[in-house]
Amino acid sequence: MAIAKAERLMNLALCLMNTRRPVSKRELRASIEAYHEVTSDEAFNRMFERDKDDLRELGLVIDTVESLDGEYGYLARSDRNRLPDIALDPEEAAALGLVAKVWQQARLAEAASGALQKLRAAGVPYEDPSGVLEPRIPAPEPAFEPLMLATRERRAVAFDYRKASAARPEPRVVEPWALECWRGHWYLAGYDRDRGAVRVFRLSRITGRVRTARGAFTAPVPDHVDVRETVARWAGEGVTSVTARIRLRRDSGYPLRARAVTTTPVDADWDELEVPYGHGLDAWLAEFGPDVLVLAPEELRADVLDRLRAVAKG
Amino acid sequence: MSNAIDQTRRMLSLVTYLRERPGARVSDVARAFGVTEAELIGDLNVLPLCGTSFRGGDLLDIDTDGERIWWHNPGTADDVAQPLRLAADEATALLVAARAVADLPGLRDSDRQALLRACAKLEDAAGEVAAGSAQLSVTFESEGSVFATVDRAITERRRLWMRYYSPARDALTEREVDPIRLFAVGHTYVEGWCRLSEDRRTFRLDRVAEIRLLDAPSDPPRIEPRDLSQGLVQPAGDDPEVIVEVGPGGRWVAEYYPHDRAEELPDGGLRITLRTPDPGALRRLALRLGRDGRIVAPPALAAQARDAAVAALAAYGE
Repeated sequence: MAIAKAERLMNLALCLMNTRRPVSKRELRASIEAYHEVTSDEAFNRMFERDKDDLRELGLVIDTVESLDGEYGYLARSDRNRLPDIALDPEEAAALGLVAKVWQQARLAEAASGALQKLRAAGVPYEDPSGVLEPRIPAPEPAFEPLMLATRERRAVAFDYRKASAARPEPRVVEPWALECWRGHWYLAGYDRDRGAVRVFRLSRITGRVRTARGAFTAPVPDHVDVRETVARWAGEGVTSVTARIRLRRDSGYPLRARAVTTTPVDADWDELEVPYGHGLDAWLAEFGPDVLVLAPEELRADVLDRLRAVAKG
Repeated sequence: MSNAIDQTRRMLSLVTYLRERPGARVSDVARAFGVTEAELIGDLNVLPLCGTSFRGGDLLDIDTDGERIWWHNPGTADDVAQPLRLAADEATALLVAARAVADLPGLRDSDRQALLRACAKLEDAAGEVAAGSAQLSVTFESEGSVFATVDRAITERRRLWMRYYSPARDALTEREVDPIRLFAVGHTYVEGWCRLSEDRRTFRLDRVAEIRLLDAPSDPPRIEPRDLSQGLVQPAGDDPEVIVEVGPGGRWVAEYYPHDRAEELPDGGLRITLRTPDPGALRRLALRLGRDGRIVAPPALAAQARDAAVAALAAYGE
């Protein structure tokens, strides 16, 4: 039976860590049993490169050194790989125990457990996460992982994107700056090369694979990108000084009341409200059907009427 | 079964951990590493196959009697048993989650302070790989005062009274609830036993219009907490089926409503089949959609939406 990959990776990691001088690929191939099973040089080289990448993914810093005779040697220097001393009190350790369970995205969930294992190996005490709160961060969008890596490595990406109301996706080339999760949905902010401007993308609307695009970043990366502010404005929740006047049936529309600037009783059945007028208010007011009557502005009244007429026609 | 990279990561930490703790108990180590005892034994079966040097010879001499773990040659492995620095993924995972929770409105101040202190220490220890965590951020929406009241009720085991808004019926109802836990997935929710319906219910904190702590003790029946990994809304198989057809402007429905099927239509729209315990709530959806979509089935639901629109238009004089 072939030697399991974890055993091979473990042997490679230990060999690279437990040496003071660079070890050549030849020496590693000779000393690690799993590599004996690979007969062709080409297959071994591929496997060796992948193994090094895997170890780097889990944090090992592997130096490549060229020797006098032109051969490459590898080592994981202990000073570059040692976790600096970290002392956490029991409250801090419990807090980390709680946050280590927050991710529901496979790669980051495993990374969080791995981080906690490294910290516990370094002496951070085990504390039962107390408290009654269970936070969860989902990231089911397939685009999440490639975009996280591209953002970290400052690589431009290309993907097909279907705008909210578009029938077909369109190709986009983006320099990714930041990812943000709001109300359980992930958004990407970045520089859209074809449009020459900053854009925000919702990850669930990316169709197909995220690919690496050519060339370094062409636009400067801002220090701070406020994805949420942009998204909230589209959701009609940005700060707006414009208001609309509506009539609302008594005892209905609690969320409208909670946001109203003023509320005045009109008669036994109706109140008049002044509510902030942002993007999407027409659709929201239409939801209340006969319990809402729009008074002003005229444009909002027309939008709501348009929706109601379409539904009345069936 | 975890993949090879995760197992390798765990085994490297195990080597460090075990060297510092000769005779460690299997149960304690499994708990500290967040794995089952069987998984840990699996790792312990691999470790003795691992050499400590490219020169050959020394293998890790670690064994277990199933209860305790012994390491017989710890002196051979100074460089392989030091604590390892964090990877970029690891630092990102902990820091982004810790900052998100620390920002949650209503969190106890002592918890927030512990999180922020842990973050600062982690950033120091992680060094340059911590930088990538700044590109990711997560916001949990919460109502601070409601959160604090629920938190207190759970800690003190007291019943809650609340006025709660149900969007499906567009109405406020008064309820008494024995709270069980708070959870945050985008929004923040309290799961509890509702004394009004005598059933388990989940309440979104931003829909709580008013909340009070009662003197009555909380006494929820023992129930399995909901499994949150499958999403919040989990329609049951016997819920009535609803079919909604939307144009391109209504495609967002498929993003917001869990559904069984979404078939592409020739005009760029979708035919979405979903199941819901409360089809009446979809009347609101139909009204919101306007010309961007309509309910196809069941016919009674389509008629309700139509009637509501006709009644609303009458008020405008149409």
